[in-house]
Amino acid sequence: MLARLAELPLLVVLLGITGGLTLIPALHGVATDQSDLARAFFYAALILLILTVMLGIATAAFSPRDAARSYLASLVLAYLLLPTAMVLPLREALPDTSLVNAWFEMTSSFTTTGASVYPADRLSDTIHLWRATVGWYGGFMVLLAAYAILAPLNLGGSEVASGRVPGRGAFGAAQATRGFEPADRLTRFAFQLFPVFTGLTLVLWIGLLLAGESATTALIHAMGTLSTSGISGQASLSNAGAGIPGEALIFLFLIFAITRRALPGLRPTAQHRLLPGDPELRLAALIVLSVGIILFLRHWFVAEATGVDDSAPRALAALWGILFTAASFLTTTGYVSAEWQTAADWSGIGTPGLILLALAIIGGGTATAAGGVKLLRVYALLRHGERELERIIHPNSIGRGGGNARRLREEGAQLAWVFFMLFAFTIAIVTAILTLLGVAFEPALVLAIAALTTTGQLAEYGASLPIAYGDLGSSVKLALGVAMIVGRLETLALLALILPARGRR
Amino acid sequence: MKVIICGAGQVGWQIARHLAGEKNDVTLVDMNADLVRRATDTLDVQGVVGFASHPDVLEKAGARDADMLIAATHSDEVNMVTCQVAHSVFNITRKIARIRAQNYLDALYGDLTNQDHLAIDVVISPEREVAEAALQRLAAPATFDTESFMGGRAQLLGIQLSDDCPVLNTALRQLNELFHTLRAIVVGIRREGRLFAPEAGDQLLAEDQIYVFTHIEDVNRALEIFGKKTKKQERIVIVGGGNVGLAVARALEKRTDRVRAKIIEKDRATAEHAADTLERTIVLHGDGMDIDLLMEAAIDRADAILAVTDDDKTNLLVAVRAKQAGCQMTIALVNDPTLAPLMAPLEIDAYINPRATTVSSILRHIRHGRVRAVYSIGDAEAEMIEAQVLSTSPLSGRLVRDIEFPEGVLVGAVMKGEKVLKPTGDLRIEAGDVIALFAMAKDVPEVERLLQVSIDFF
Repeated sequence: MLARLAELPLLVVLLGITGGLTLIPALHGVATDQSDLARAFFYAALILLILTVMLGIATAAFSPRDAARSYLASLVLAYLLLPTAMVLPLREALPDTSLVNAWFEMTSSFTTTGASVYPADRLSDTIHLWRATVGWYGGFMVLLAAYAILAPLNLGGSEVASGRVPGRGAFGAAQATRGFEPADRLTRFAFQLFPVFTGLTLVLWIGLLLAGESATTALIHAMGTLSTSGISGQASLSNAGAGIPGEALIFLFLIFAITRRALPGLRPTAQHRLLPGDPELRLAALIVLSVGIILFLRHWFVAEATGVDDSAPRALAALWGILFTAASFLTTTGYVSAEWQTAADWSGIGTPGLILLALAIIGGGTATAAGGVKLLRVYALLRHGERELERIIHPNSIGRGGGNARRLREEGAQLAWVFFMLFAFTIAIVTAILTLLGVAFEPALVLAIAALTTTGQLAEYGASLPIAYGDLGSSVKLALGVAMIVGRLETLALLALILPARGRR
Repeated sequence: MKVIICGAGQVGWQIARHLAGEKNDVTLVDMNADLVRRATDTLDVQGVVGFASHPDVLEKAGARDADMLIAATHSDEVNMVTCQVAHSVFNITRKIARIRAQNYLDALYGDLTNQDHLAIDVVISPEREVAEAALQRLAAPATFDTESFMGGRAQLLGIQLSDDCPVLNTALRQLNELFHTLRAIVVGIRREGRLFAPEAGDQLLAEDQIYVFTHIEDVNRALEIFGKKTKKQERIVIVGGGNVGLAVARALEKRTDRVRAKIIEKDRATAEHAADTLERTIVLHGDGMDIDLLMEAAIDRADAILAVTDDDKTNLLVAVRAKQAGCQMTIALVNDPTLAPLMAPLEIDAYINPRATTVSSILRHIRHGRVRAVYSIGDAEAEMIEAQVLSTSPLSGRLVRDIEFPEGVLVGAVMKGEKVLKPTGDLRIEAGDVIALFAMAKDVPEVERLLQVSIDFF
């Protein structure tokens, strides 16, 4: 049965799962005695499931010529089409919203951006749960796609480690893997990843419950953390009621967005290395700690004169605020510590939004739910730079570290650089489009980075004045929605799909 | 003694020549019929054509009644399997294998009692031997040849005498009286290309190459007396990052005093391997003959250059080029012993002959009696033999002056217990002493007889 289902087009399967997930808010509605909402979600679930069955029957004979590339195409289509399907329950539950707003909301959730056009208090918990579920679903899909769709095609960060041309399989792998269908790979990884991902979400949920959050909020936060969407039912994290212990729990679970090796139960395809030696984790620690220390120490250099209270508890709170927020934005999650304002006051830097923008651009680890340029690419560029410095002294010297490190430094760094430039171009283009649509330059830049790094919360914290998504025009929202999809899928994967790689000689 | 040598390559050939010259019954096994024919034509050996590890080939070579098997083919695996076959099928008691790959060596080398695992009594690694020889040369920069004896307590130094040597035209007897506390003795002189063991009345002349056997503590003093200064080596350039260069660099890295080494290697893959293996040493990729690359390795400020590529001519030219660029000392690896006379006109300070070192270490295990070390000098013209004197030996219990050594034999030193003594006429050799003898090639059988166990021992 399952094997037969797996042979259906990926898009149809994903639609079916969407329908299934719609039952979660429906159940929540029943549990919280909101029969209207429950009914809206239940009807939407029914419609989606019936649609899936019909599409499934219609496309049962579907057999793509190149399954691996067809999956890549399905992935892109999923981001374009599934939010439309997700709009259905939202429109039912929230009749007075416009279609564009609903689509923006769902695209933003599904791409784990987490930007919302609605003020947090306008929506009920059930609808927040739906947003978080969609985000969680999107996060899981990114994870699954990275392992099962992008890695075999040498995309999504694995091109940096392998140093081969992105968009194509391993050299000579076609012959060895003949008969091993990509569908098998997808199913295998889905069954491997799903228990881990769900289990971790449940653990964090229970943890947050114990820390004092309400059941729904804790679940939303757990989903938001694991998927890096940063969706929260509250106006800010401090309203959740778990305080610093809750933040500490979320902080711990951010590691799954920093390195893929943290995910238990999965054999990493690259060489085995102990977790403390993982380059992405080390780089992330280095970045977060240096941001933390610089902002923390700035207090004594600059802010002392301004007469800020510098008692020890306040200093610690400020340090925590910096570390948590930095880690959260580095993983493109976007939760802001309750002590963030304390931290900003402490360092005397005013609005340190630019730092958050930079952190989000660096991004989390490869093959995780995080967005941005990705730590592995930054690491490759750093290693390359280090090596170039060595070569200034000894132009003919040979670098150390073995074949993998050498490939990472050379071909890997080149591909990382290509990606970085594509990313920079995309930021420029999206900014240009937004300014053409009438947004002022600074908000346009912040919004472009927020959308492309899938860190929607940057709009509120990244600019000097908070930007409300609700105040933007419809065309701007549409442009941002497309930018989110581009940022989520990575430009390189889109190019690999569009460019006729097969026909090139 | 009946010996089977597998592999008629450089090492196999050289050992066959040595052993055949000593009236042993030698059989050479090789796949190459041409090589075998040439060996049987030139040397007093028998030849068998075939794959060394095949039992039928070994049987044809007389493995049934052989006393020893030396596996020196170019393949480590064949050498190991040959030894195993020799052990399991033919029960040959002594098996020597040459092993090159570092990975095998790490597991095998030095562990002579691993009969349980692989039936090899002795593992010989040419690269490792050569690396050790290179390190010894670096340690004694003023010499052209060195080898340590008696567990590192004594050293054989080859010194090129120049015009400014203070002890020229002095009889050796006088020298001995002049420096009677110096525990060193001149054991060989090469004059105008001819090597001989000096008499007490012989004098040293400029341009002589002398071999001095000295106590390790007196090495520097001996060098000073013969007009050589000792200087610490800090910056070393190694050309060739293969097994030899890598082993030298690794040994240099392990040293506690800060030695800065740079390796130049032409082959990219080899260079990468070297860079990955070493921690501090800088590996440069390119042609060692390229002056730009040599300057990048700061050859003009280097204390020594070690040319250890697999090509003799490259090594010689690199050494010459480095010297010209200002390198203090040049050491070249030379496989072809006939190139040795070129060293002086090319102003190359020292050379390493891998065959000599490998052959030396194999010979050490072949000699009768309790031979502990053998070093082959020059083009197998003479040997320095270190052996333990058995109670049954004709040497035992006699004064040095009373022993009838042949003309070409000199005593270098005698070690009683842990103490290395300078040989004097009234020193009594006792059973259990270790004696170091310089012997011209023609006198080696006589020395063997002196060291050998007497018949009545059994």
